[in-house]
Amino acid sequence: MFTTHGRIFAFNQERDAILQEVVQRRLVAHGRNPDRLRLDLNDAAFTEITRIEEAGQTGGKAFGHWRDLYRRIGRLDATGLETELARLVWHYARDVVGNFDPRVYGFATRVVPPALSFLWRPQFNWSRLLNLSTARERIRVQGPIDRIRALANQGTLILVPTHLSNLDSLAIGFSLLTQDLPPFTYGAGKNLFFNPFISYFMHNLGAYRVDRRLRFSLYKEVLKTYSQILIERGYHSLFFPGGTRSRSGEVERRLKLGLLGTAYSAATRRLQAGASRPGIWIVPCTLNYQIVLEAETLIEDQLKREGQHRYIIEDDESSRIGRVFSYGRQVMNLDASMVVQFGEPMDLWGHQVDCEGNSHDGHGRRVDTRAYLCRRGQPCEDTQRDHEYTEELGRSIVDAFHRNTIATVTQVVAHAVWRLLEARFPGADLYGLLRLGQGAVLSEAQVLEAVEHHRACLHRIAEAGGIGLGHRIRTGTAEALLAAALASFGMYHQRAALARSGPDLMVDDPKLLLYYRNRLTGHALDPLPEALRRTVAEEVKIGT
Amino acid sequence: MGREPVAVVGGGSWGTAIAHLLGREDRPVRIWVRNADLARQVNEERRNPKYLPEASLGAGVQASADLSEVLAPCRTIFVVVPSKGLRDVARAMAGHVDGDRILIHATKGLEGEGCTRMSEVLREETTCRRIGVLSGPNLAGEIATGHPAATVIASRYAEVVEVGREALVGPRFRVYASRDVVGTEWGGVLKNVVAIAAGVSHGLGFGMNTMAMLVTRGLAEMTRFGLAEGAEIETFQGLSGVGDLVATAFSPLSRNYRVGVALAQGQSLETITQGMCQVAEGVRTTQLVHARAGQMGIYMPIVEAVHRLLFEGISPEAALADLMAINRNPYEAESVYSRVG
Repeated sequence: MFTTHGRIFAFNQERDAILQEVVQRRLVAHGRNPDRLRLDLNDAAFTEITRIEEAGQTGGKAFGHWRDLYRRIGRLDATGLETELARLVWHYARDVVGNFDPRVYGFATRVVPPALSFLWRPQFNWSRLLNLSTARERIRVQGPIDRIRALANQGTLILVPTHLSNLDSLAIGFSLLTQDLPPFTYGAGKNLFFNPFISYFMHNLGAYRVDRRLRFSLYKEVLKTYSQILIERGYHSLFFPGGTRSRSGEVERRLKLGLLGTAYSAATRRLQAGASRPGIWIVPCTLNYQIVLEAETLIEDQLKREGQHRYIIEDDESSRIGRVFSYGRQVMNLDASMVVQFGEPMDLWGHQVDCEGNSHDGHGRRVDTRAYLCRRGQPCEDTQRDHEYTEELGRSIVDAFHRNTIATVTQVVAHAVWRLLEARFPGADLYGLLRLGQGAVLSEAQVLEAVEHHRACLHRIAEAGGIGLGHRIRTGTAEALLAAALASFGMYHQRAALARSGPDLMVDDPKLLLYYRNRLTGHALDPLPEALRRTVAEEVKIGT
Repeated sequence: MGREPVAVVGGGSWGTAIAHLLGREDRPVRIWVRNADLARQVNEERRNPKYLPEASLGAGVQASADLSEVLAPCRTIFVVVPSKGLRDVARAMAGHVDGDRILIHATKGLEGEGCTRMSEVLREETTCRRIGVLSGPNLAGEIATGHPAATVIASRYAEVVEVGREALVGPRFRVYASRDVVGTEWGGVLKNVVAIAAGVSHGLGFGMNTMAMLVTRGLAEMTRFGLAEGAEIETFQGLSGVGDLVATAFSPLSRNYRVGVALAQGQSLETITQGMCQVAEGVRTTQLVHARAGQMGIYMPIVEAVHRLLFEGISPEAALADLMAINRNPYEAESVYSRVG
């Protein structure tokens, strides 16, 4: 019943060849330039020594190796440097490379979906454990699936989803399975491999390991080369272009394009090898949750480190099995608690692609994509050109993310209430609003008016194709939206973003309110009506 | 590759000047002109009798009114048509060009209320990506006469700048490279408004102090606006910024400058535009930039004064008085970052 086609089923036979190619290409890229070799080795050694020292692991074997190398680099000749580089590239390439075991895949396809159904059901029920219907009700998968499936058989797909939660990978895996789409290879954080059970599955399902602690260029180049070779050889690949889970809850606006950029070199090499067209397509995808498992930790992290980057949260809700279970039991019991929306597939230049893999521009004209990678008709590599293509593609992906966002009731109500807080405390900055908003009481009539304003506004944006709407927002009244949002807010989080307080409504957790509201900030919703803002500002009604 | 033909789309005076530069040493150039008769004349006389007749055209320059014939053999294409006609021409080109081509436009102007830049029009109408802009202090007549001059080619794609430079550069023409397409295009657009103000100043009989004030503070306004549009500050300090501004504001030949002079003499905008065969770009630009600056909250007192003069019926003296009154504001700072108004 599940896909058994796709390049990845032959991965293990190619594994060694791929490894060798990674090493070969890295060596070629360095030429025999001793300055460049020395620079990269120094960079790796210095970065690693510093990292190991900071981690307080100077007793280990690795530290000794790096210290030794660091001392010797200056004395090595070109051959010696090349030997060291080859050794390191081999080491890291082996560390990165994945595995694909069709037996494990077969097992997973039979076991994982029912297990998900089990996790997402309040009562255990044997009769339903054996089919997918429960999870199918909870996770709605939509989009031009037929076209994506058709393209998967004609070339390489690069799936680029938004990233909110550690459950994203599960939800995507589930969607691919149920839609009869082939498995995708992807780079998973090495920390996910520490759990031997998860590691076993990840490792044997085509995931490769990305050690996010390693920051030197030699390692990043190995990763990129590996990813490029996979795309070139036709393995469908998945990248989270946001790089990490969105801390603020916003739809990704700035992307990390390094891995995506490898698609252009891969395409050029395919053309040079005689392919008639690049045959690599991008499939944007949004994951839309009513309630996010790690919302509290993520927004906390965002607020603490606003403006700074932090990539690895070691301990959050997703690592506490009790929280995951409680999330599954409560949230996934909601009707259509999440929507996985696949967007229109596009080529590497953002054009729409039809079922035959032909590109069409905004005027409906056929586009010859081969020409973009050519100079005077000959395919040729040009790093600078490809860098610009990548930047432009990044903008197309961000647009697609926004168009394919599915607004949910929690986001709409949070956005409306946040706007009311802004009207009530004019001039307050973000932190001021978080402080003053705590315990703020709003009359239900005002909240309903604000929700209605947002509902109407979203309908307008949706009609112009700027956003998708969840079922409730499409059909429900402001009252129905508010009721649904209150139910969702009240069920899983420690404290509710918004809750009833007598005849009124009270903001109990302004941070969560901000988090859910942020999802819609990229859509430029109209400001609240002037009259409503004025009423709210005048009547200051502080709760207990 | 030296013998690969280069195309010029547009046979006005600037297009002819570019064909003149490209065609030195008998290099092959294909130039598209609208009118088949004119094309024949160009090929017979080796010059363009209608626009810029003083520019000699090399033996390799071939004119044609057939766009596909011109574009087919050319990978590098200079697009030099008036801003109003660019979209139609780009649309006509679309069927003959693919993503392997290099388009460099040399059109200073904007399209419509949305202030669409010329490179954006090319991008929307064709499937080309390797697009660039050529802009700088380049009065066509002086180029034809062979006065030394320089220009800027800006593109996000290094290859575009390289190819364009290689084609144009010569003993009397320098080409500078830039990545700032936005700033390069806006520089060529915004200077026209300042040129009108400069004409007014001249018409009112003021001297170089006034001129220097207008040009310098005009540049600050241009830069401020450009920054808000995403341009880089140094572009305005270069040839396509201050360079082009100086050439335009001090040139009595510039149409925008002449509009300013006529306004100072008390003529109405209607009479002035009726008397000109070609519309001065700066009049329309003033309207568009004024509206956009208003929306974005950008402080542009010279644009404001020119706008009031052109469209709100105040006298040149009153416009000038307005402009000088801003200095009563104690916070008036010279910085382009200053938004006090």
